[in-house]
Amino acid sequence: MITGDRLGFRYPEAPQLVLSEVSFAVAAGDFVIVAGPSGAGKSTLLRSLNGLVPHFTGGTISGRVIVDGLEPVVVGPQRMCRHVGFVFQDPESQFVMDRVEDEIAFALENAALAPGEMRVRVAEVLDLLDLTALRERSLSTLSGGEKQRVSIAAALALRPRVLVLDEPTSQLDPESAEDVLAAVARLNAERGLTIVLAEHRLERVLAFANRMIYVPGGGHPAMVGTPRDVVGAIDLAPPVSKLGKALGWSPLPITTEEGRAFIRERAFQSAVAAARIGTAPVPYLTAQSLDVAYAPRGNGGTRVVSDVSLSLAKGEVTVLVGRNGAGKSTLLKSLVGLVKPQRGQIRLGGRDITAAPVAEICRDVAYLPQDPNALLFADTVMEELQITLRNHGIAPSEAPVPAAALLAELGLADKAGAYPRDLSVGERQRVALAAMMVTRPGVVLLDEPTRGLDYEAKGRLAGLIRQWRDAGLAILLVTHDVELAATVADRVLMMAGGKIEAQGDPHDVLTSATGFAPQIAQLFPGSGWLTVAEALQGLCGDGPARTGLGRAGG
Amino acid sequence: MHPVAWFIWIGAAALVPLVTRDPLYLVIDFAITCVVVDAIRTQPFTEAAPVFAAPLRFAAFAVLVGALFNGLISHVGETILLRLPDAIPLIGGPLTAESLVYGAINGLILATLFSAFAVLTLAVPVRDLIAYLPRAFYPIAVVSAIAATFVPSSVRQFQQVREAQAIRGHRMRGLRDWLPLFMPVLIGGLERALQLAEAMTARGFAGGNGQPESQGPAVRRGSGTVAQIVLVLGLGSVLVGGVLRLLPGGARWFGLDLSLPLLVLGTAATLWVVWRAGSHVHHTRYRRSTWTGVESACAVLSVVAVLPILILTLRGEAGYNPYPRLALPGFDPLLGLPLLGLLAPIWGLQARRNGTHSAEGADGIGVTTGEGRRL
Repeated sequence: MITGDRLGFRYPEAPQLVLSEVSFAVAAGDFVIVAGPSGAGKSTLLRSLNGLVPHFTGGTISGRVIVDGLEPVVVGPQRMCRHVGFVFQDPESQFVMDRVEDEIAFALENAALAPGEMRVRVAEVLDLLDLTALRERSLSTLSGGEKQRVSIAAALALRPRVLVLDEPTSQLDPESAEDVLAAVARLNAERGLTIVLAEHRLERVLAFANRMIYVPGGGHPAMVGTPRDVVGAIDLAPPVSKLGKALGWSPLPITTEEGRAFIRERAFQSAVAAARIGTAPVPYLTAQSLDVAYAPRGNGGTRVVSDVSLSLAKGEVTVLVGRNGAGKSTLLKSLVGLVKPQRGQIRLGGRDITAAPVAEICRDVAYLPQDPNALLFADTVMEELQITLRNHGIAPSEAPVPAAALLAELGLADKAGAYPRDLSVGERQRVALAAMMVTRPGVVLLDEPTRGLDYEAKGRLAGLIRQWRDAGLAILLVTHDVELAATVADRVLMMAGGKIEAQGDPHDVLTSATGFAPQIAQLFPGSGWLTVAEALQGLCGDGPARTGLGRAGG
Repeated sequence: MHPVAWFIWIGAAALVPLVTRDPLYLVIDFAITCVVVDAIRTQPFTEAAPVFAAPLRFAAFAVLVGALFNGLISHVGETILLRLPDAIPLIGGPLTAESLVYGAINGLILATLFSAFAVLTLAVPVRDLIAYLPRAFYPIAVVSAIAATFVPSSVRQFQQVREAQAIRGHRMRGLRDWLPLFMPVLIGGLERALQLAEAMTARGFAGGNGQPESQGPAVRRGSGTVAQIVLVLGLGSVLVGGVLRLLPGGARWFGLDLSLPLLVLGTAATLWVVWRAGSHVHHTRYRRSTWTGVESACAVLSVVAVLPILILTLRGEAGYNPYPRLALPGFDPLLGLPLLGLLAPIWGLQARRNGTHSAEGADGIGVTTGEGRRL
């Protein structure tokens, strides 16, 4: 169905090749995962399948790609859309129309199909993706998962034989991601549609795939094979595979189901987590019975956060989990004063800051919003830091922490003069963090910082969080990424419907709700382990599984 | 209801204030448009925001301002109410009842037109209006559709940026403080525009020149330049014709008034170019509205309602002029009563709503897509 023969590509005015000598073959009905670090060329590879590369981007391409008997480079994206459906990362930015049906019909209108035929096709894809009930809805009223399913339906309206998806779940919460991936898997299984899917979180998708292409970037050769072979050969693997590698399980498990087969044979010792050592944490930022409501049109408004009390202690990482719309972001915004609560009190180090201006609170409370791009506008990284200082009326020489030292701490030492928007997703996020941390705050609030991050960037972020925790900062992390939560959390809060439903020990809270349990906790229920390191320690019996100090990364 | 039926109704309702200045017919027409506006707004599934929500308030404003303005400026008429000092430039002089009434009628005409077009914006969503653009303007249609989704997302983005800057201690003190808000929104907007362009390309949008695969490239060179020349000539003659008509007495060559032929020919040439350009555009439309007996009835009623008044004014018999001395306007029931036919859409809306439910069972796909809004 698809063959790539020594494919190479260089963007216009780029010094080096993004892809070089990548060869692969995909049969009809295959489910292919394309993995690799950010900037390694995954998106470029996907876009070469429908001719967007090089027709839309420019640049020079070498080698050959043949899809469904056609060469996208020759035919161009406008005609390839009948053979390859393409779904992008962010559902919002790919919509042309404002209603479900019209959006799906857009490609059909462009292809000049007869109106009668159009109705048949629209009805067909609506049915295929379970969207019939939503056909007349306005797109802005749909959930993230529903939006992404509409994008898939729109891409399939022309009945292509290949569906290409570029990180379709990176903007979605776990539940919506599951929804979208299940739809894709069904299209593959029931319709024999060939799927090519780029994804960072392998643990979500490995179960469905039968082929995998790993693009390492930096001029290293790509790896092509079955998911088991490729995962066995690379470092970026889901926790269950890491554990399997460390314990020499063969064949290597790539899903929790496969992992369980090994565990049933072993009588493993249940080791309940050891008690945390150290003194009782001293609350630093506390909120008491907060009520927050938005009143968009002055008619009462809806209460988003109701009766929430929480306290963040210095030297402790608190993780806040919950589904989209549970009120997590609003709670964070109310803590920094962006949204004023209707009721309740917020205290920072003993001082009442409920009514304090945002600028004053933010000197001591750093808040990283979901989209760090909203923060960055200066010409250089260093300037971003200075702007924050200037906003607070602090002279650069009197900065609580030298800018250069902060950049070095964040791994940005050589990027001080770079244009922030040219950096990778992970680097941009750390620049935004630097711009917040330059006042040396005592509290850090992070709102879903793992969106779009690859394993390496995520690892760095986890390292930073632990480093700050050890330096005595109070940290609140909002995340959908349960594996990250498992590696850094000292305490977990779970929010639902604007209330804190559960809080306490990470293991107890994360395993109490479906969809939030990390892979290791699923493998060893009742053991108290959350990460690969804990499982290894527990299984091999060297020392207590968990201590309050420096929990190792997963 | 079908957009074309609405176009016909609006044409009829807007014709009344254009042909007659008799306030009695105007008031009837205005009241009818208000009732229709109200009927649409109480419909379920109306998406259009009530932007022109208050035709009555606008009418009061227009009548008052019209009367005052004309009364103060124009000093013609025999019924003098009071005399402003002549020393005041422009408004100094007699204030007459005639000029007040004349101005109030101006306001009423404006309010009636306004209210008729309020019906258009309420009853026919922009999407459906766009569908009646000639095919050559398909890219414009798409751009408008995008703007409808792009603008709200830009507003959301601005809100995000504002918050992101606030948490860096940003305060609005002067003009320079707008930069941190403006730059991320601008850059982010451009990035999103590029992403959207890419998504559209991946779904076969080619700026209005998409062709069915079987036909291959269908660009005929040469025909483009002919069309351009015709377009320039056409628009040129419309312009010249228009200017000639404005000249006192009209410009005549050899005793012939050229303005009208120029206007007609120029318009025809321009339309031909648009139609021709459209025939190159290969795309089809998904959304179709259906035309039923209800639409036919509404259209016929609308036309019949205004026919008498049109015929009589063309014969110069239904006019009203307060000058030189105020008199009661004439009212002929044979002209006024038929105007009630303009209430047809109220019955039409009701009939279509009931009809849709029964028709949906019979032919789900065709009917629901056609009448998504059940107007």
